[in-house]
Amino acid sequence: MLSRYTKLYYLFCKQNLKVMLEYRMDFLLGVLSVMLQQFAGIFFVKIVFDHIHALNGWTFYEILFIYGIAATGRSIHHIFFDNLWTLGWQYIRPGKFDRLLIRPINPLFHFIADRLQQDGFGQLFIGIIVIGTAMPHLGISWGILEFFILVVMIIASGFIFVAINLFFATLSFWMVDSLPIVWTIFNLSDFARYPLTIYHKGIRHFLTWIVPYGFTAFYPAAYFIKGSGFERLALLTPVVAIFSCIIAYWFWNRGLKAFTSTGS
Amino acid sequence: MIVVKNLEKHYKIAKRDPGLRGAIKSLFHRKFETKKAVKKINMHIKAGEMVGYIGANGAGKSTTIKMLTGILTPTSGEVKVNGIIPYENRQQNASHIGAVFGQRTQLFWDIPVRESYELLKHIYEIPQAQYEETLKEFVDVLHLEPLLGIPVRQLSLGQKMRCELAAAFLHRPKVVYLDEPTIGLDVAVKVRIRAFIKQMNARYGTTVLLTTHDMQDIEEICQRIIIIDDGSVIYDGSIQDIKSQFGDKRVIHFELEDAADSFVLPETISEVTEVLPRSDEDPHLVSLSFSNKNISGAEVIHTMMNHYSVADLTIADAKIETIVEEIYGRGMKKEVQHEEIH
Repeated sequence: MLSRYTKLYYLFCKQNLKVMLEYRMDFLLGVLSVMLQQFAGIFFVKIVFDHIHALNGWTFYEILFIYGIAATGRSIHHIFFDNLWTLGWQYIRPGKFDRLLIRPINPLFHFIADRLQQDGFGQLFIGIIVIGTAMPHLGISWGILEFFILVVMIIASGFIFVAINLFFATLSFWMVDSLPIVWTIFNLSDFARYPLTIYHKGIRHFLTWIVPYGFTAFYPAAYFIKGSGFERLALLTPVVAIFSCIIAYWFWNRGLKAFTSTGS
Repeated sequence: MIVVKNLEKHYKIAKRDPGLRGAIKSLFHRKFETKKAVKKINMHIKAGEMVGYIGANGAGKSTTIKMLTGILTPTSGEVKVNGIIPYENRQQNASHIGAVFGQRTQLFWDIPVRESYELLKHIYEIPQAQYEETLKEFVDVLHLEPLLGIPVRQLSLGQKMRCELAAAFLHRPKVVYLDEPTIGLDVAVKVRIRAFIKQMNARYGTTVLLTTHDMQDIEEICQRIIIIDDGSVIYDGSIQDIKSQFGDKRVIHFELEDAADSFVLPETISEVTEVLPRSDEDPHLVSLSFSNKNISGAEVIHTMMNHYSVADLTIADAKIETIVEEIYGRGMKKEVQHEEIH
């Protein structure tokens, strides 16, 4: 079962890559534009820190590190799960979703495997550079264990992005296209690129326990920052990721059921 | 193969007053009305049958097919395809069925046709040897060879439909649903597609449920038709039966050697046939009308030949198309029932 889906995913990926390479210009421009966008964000932080030494007690490199984890985690979502954006307007509205329902494989798998988004590679690239730049300045020694935890944290961060997008994209089953909602929620993740301590308590709780974007960057980063006070909470990141995915998948199945009974 | 019992599907439709005002009002207070898209449909289709499922637009054809494929869950009633309830075991059902939905592509848009088939091979877990054999056969019958390397998006409608059809049959499904497979195609492609469907049925015993507005499709492919109107089945039987039930009239035009002015109907057939009013254009033409319930065409021709010297004759068959139109016409007058709920 699992090996079958792994193989299928590989085959879908291969096809998607071929298409990507067919449109070479698209590929390059996409990657470049996302890199530029990321770079602009970092540049802004740099300008701010040219004038101040610390932001609410956080140094430039610490902020950079948070930023890097956000970018890398987001890139996982961007590269592999980008199709979630298109559920309403490309699948449900034109009736293309029916096609997935008459195939003998899981429709969510099929839907996600249908697309690989090249632009995400720009984000991944920048993210890795930023993390690499910030790492030596955090005052901890990087051993194999630390690297391992970092990778787990980044993957967990990616899946939290996925779960949140999946949850809100699922609304499309009832309202045809939930893209505006997905966008609004997704934009909240920008808050999570900065230390949550700079925000009001209400926002902090919201981004931790309701829409857990806090776990996509700030908390996992705080694990590696000495004296941040969030080292323990940070360990919850993978748990939050798994939990979010379960809820989102449950919700997706509810949506699918509603869809097959109304067929709108 | 396909068993449908008392199948019903109701849709809830938001009712809105006209204009912007109505739109605003509906934001706060919504009225719904129930539309019964499918009402207590029963059908039983045996393995290997090819059945035409016809009806006007909005008659409930697509809704029925969606329920048979498992895309839609019925409001009430029961469907079993090959022993499986499609909407409860959608994925299991999916591996035994194939489908072509009109102009919506089942193939992968950006990648060449051959690669699309390769992916389908893996999705449906078709053994390699069987896949190669099937594909070779399809390529021959549908003339796909020059298309295999082209991405689907670059194909013409006719080319795409041929590829779609091959995709629907690739995993040798037990049942194939074809929703308007020949819509918008030229005659040559239609002929090829019909031949392909017939060949698949003959070779693999594939059960085919075909919806179309093209009566030629129906006449050439199906032995049986089910006509649906306003959500209910109004006819289910063989094409031959519908013809004799609704269209038992036959007309034979005789071109006589001599002028037909002095034509008198032979006595032996005068009770069951009727001479149609003659046109001035052709003085040699005599047209006889009769019901084939009362007398066979052969007998009419035989009698005529014995009494007159006939130069030529043409038999006008009752067209299924006109019959169906007539049936729709009758069915359409029925009032649509609405139920209002809040």
